[in-house]
Amino acid sequence: MHIPDGFIPLWQAAIYYVITIVALYFALNWAKQNLDEKRVPLMAVLAAFIFAIQAMNIPIPWGTSGHMLGAALVAIVLGSPWAAVLVLTVVLTVQGFFFGDGGITALGANILDMGVIAGFTGYGVFTLLKKLNLWVAIFIAGWASIFVAAIAVAIQMALAGTFPADLGLFFMGLYHGVIGIAEGLITVIAILAIQRVRPDLLLWSNKGKAEVEK
Amino acid sequence: MNKRDKSFIIGGLIVAIVIAILAPFLASADPDGLESAAEKILLVEETEPVLEVPLPDYLVPAWGESPLGGVVSIVLGTLIAFLAMVGLATTARWFKSENGSG
Repeated sequence: MHIPDGFIPLWQAAIYYVITIVALYFALNWAKQNLDEKRVPLMAVLAAFIFAIQAMNIPIPWGTSGHMLGAALVAIVLGSPWAAVLVLTVVLTVQGFFFGDGGITALGANILDMGVIAGFTGYGVFTLLKKLNLWVAIFIAGWASIFVAAIAVAIQMALAGTFPADLGLFFMGLYHGVIGIAEGLITVIAILAIQRVRPDLLLWSNKGKAEVEK
Repeated sequence: MNKRDKSFIIGGLIVAIVIAILAPFLASADPDGLESAAEKILLVEETEPVLEVPLPDYLVPAWGESPLGGVVSIVLGTLIAFLAMVGLATTARWFKSENGSG
């Protein structure tokens, strides 16, 4: 759902840039306070993984495809949506400047949607549901993160006059509701993999293993 | 950095690079959700990208549509993302020690 140049009028793109820069300020403050030596490599590996997996478009019905965002994954693993903002900022900036994936004028909006909104949605859903079942919470957090981000894009497209509001919401919601299943599954698999090799990197492992050992 | 962190980095990078190498062969070439919606309901004229980038669409321009260009592009991007994240995170931590707050 990388927005290209020309889909958002420049004055609106500027507003999204400002919101994103404010979010980045808070995200860097989080990093300053919370990143320890072993979480820097974790974030960097997640950035590499997310860059690669975003190139792996999965086919869905209606001649369409999609890829995971990874914001929920980062937020859950690092225990903060601000971590997702940082990792997705890096990934989306590299995609925009080197590969033309997402317009440079739309980079603020793209970070806002796929980093800030997806990260906070994923983390919020995970926090709400983790008491019920950890893995169900992770799956739904992954699904919700991309679905809500897609709805945000549809609203931006409607505000920009680029898509009609009703059809934009319908198609963006429909496609990403399906892609969200892949996002949820890959998020679960990635966290299972991290738990297998480095349970100490996951926040909940400090609180006692009983919660995760089923 | 201890040995476990080192092997985590190496293992994680191997997973990412394997995905990056496979992506040009396995990824669906169908339009993504936003492009697909745009094909049906776009109300504005499509425009050219503002910036000329070195590897547009994850391909090496001189090699045309060759999947090898895709492999090179995506592996390179994966490594750049890794290094950029190390750089950004390290810079943020460096500011912490500069301020003497911890």
